[in-house]
Amino acid sequence: MSNTLFKILVAVTLIFVVVFFAVPLLSIVVKSFFTSEGVSIKSYIDFFKDGTSRHAFYRSLKLGMAVMAISLILSYPSAIAINTINNQTIKSFLMTLIVLPIMTNPVARTFSWLAVIGRNGFINNFLVYLGFHRVRILYTETAVFIGLLQLFTPLMLLSLVSAFENLDKEVILAAQSLGAGKFMTFLKIQLPLTLDGAIMGSLLVFSGSVSAYVTPALLGGSKILMLSTLLYQKASVVLDWDAAITIAVIMILLIFGVNSLVKVILKEVSY
Amino acid sequence: MSKFIMILTITFLVGPFLIIFLASFGENPSLEFPPKGFTLHWYNKVLSMPMFMDSLKLSVFLAIGASLLGLILGVPVAYALVRWDFKGKPVVEFLTSLPVAVPGMVAGLALLKFFVLMGTFSIESTLLIGHTLIVLPYSVRIVKGSLMNLPEEVELAAQSLGANPIKTFFLIILPLIKTSLIAAFILMFIISFNNVPISLFLSGPGITTLPIVMMSYMEYYYDPTIAALSTLLIAVTLIVVLGMQKILGFSKFL
Repeated sequence: MSNTLFKILVAVTLIFVVVFFAVPLLSIVVKSFFTSEGVSIKSYIDFFKDGTSRHAFYRSLKLGMAVMAISLILSYPSAIAINTINNQTIKSFLMTLIVLPIMTNPVARTFSWLAVIGRNGFINNFLVYLGFHRVRILYTETAVFIGLLQLFTPLMLLSLVSAFENLDKEVILAAQSLGAGKFMTFLKIQLPLTLDGAIMGSLLVFSGSVSAYVTPALLGGSKILMLSTLLYQKASVVLDWDAAITIAVIMILLIFGVNSLVKVILKEVSY
Repeated sequence: MSKFIMILTITFLVGPFLIIFLASFGENPSLEFPPKGFTLHWYNKVLSMPMFMDSLKLSVFLAIGASLLGLILGVPVAYALVRWDFKGKPVVEFLTSLPVAVPGMVAGLALLKFFVLMGTFSIESTLLIGHTLIVLPYSVRIVKGSLMNLPEEVELAAQSLGANPIKTFFLIILPLIKTSLIAAFILMFIISFNNVPISLFLSGPGITTLPIVMMSYMEYYYDPTIAALSTLLIAVTLIVVLGMQKILGFSKFL
């Protein structure tokens, strides 16, 4: 059988991924639990003892949660509004605009914000025009939050738009014919039926925010560090490889931890 | 109310792109909005600076190479996952989606450590391997989706008429999933072209991709050169996304 050829091709891909990805990844995970004296979690203790590292950890967690929450708040009403648009041309144009931030080069996307929140940007020049003082937004946590929100709201919106598309229109009509108002219909019908999409979207947004590099690097500068920017600083500026590896493993554990936690909770709830 | 929030959200998502577009024509050598005057100087500067043009060339070649390799490695896996029944399926699925589940910076660091240890690879080949890894999951996912919609009878018919599996694959299956292959290629191209974390760790002196060059330029200069380059990149992205949507529809590539 020439199916053998296919088996060889599949094997080639698997070997490629294992050799060049799984093994390098596993080796840094293993290495992070070893010191010269043997198995130890010393590098993790050092990480949490260090103020800068601890701050970066909490900041990643905090910004991940905040971006997730605000993108949910923006996306629910937006997804409902998009779903009520009947004109296909307008709808697909809006969808194009929504995916544009994820598809755009991250440096170009992030640089755009400098013209908005920078010293001579739109917001500051507007404030000066109105007679106020300039405010410092660039290189603050707010700037990083804004950048991450722009980058990850599309993911939430896409999850929710497709959740609403899969929702039977008759169910809503039924609720309304039984006397439910717009808000009650949302609370009792639309919200529970789109919850899966919202949770999927939330996980994507949280994981993405914790992983993102360009946004915190360009909008947060060297002071507002997240785990990803701290990792790069350790690896290439300070040349402390062991610390960089520890941060890398903490990032993996944080993301996989939150993802599996949510999945376990979902399983419990649905029984 | 919900319409208002939608307009607000979309303005937030794309408003900065409009602002950087306008700011890129400003005459002032430091970025500002609203811009003063009108000049194409920054566009001229971008297009005449070898540092941008060389890295653009590398980025494009790298994206084409990684996407092609992504298809060559990904399509057989997608086919096996859809058509065959075997024990290790979840393992195969896990391994081929792993690169997208791991944060880019973590992947970049792991790859750098690995290649430093190996020592025999050139910078170009490590970049190509790294980029192929991060685009591979997308080729598997998209091609898998379109193979699932392809009835198995098509293959059985071809084979009952005497075509061997290889012939069936190249003459029947590949032409039938052509649109998904194109969609997968374009998406992989964009992902590789835009990648920062892998390139950040694996680039070397003189062999650097465009996003990395842009970032290091920004560390020293604050003029609208990057605004002009960003505008060009955003415009190209908009055209590609509009085109893909027109030809393929959104369900195909997201």
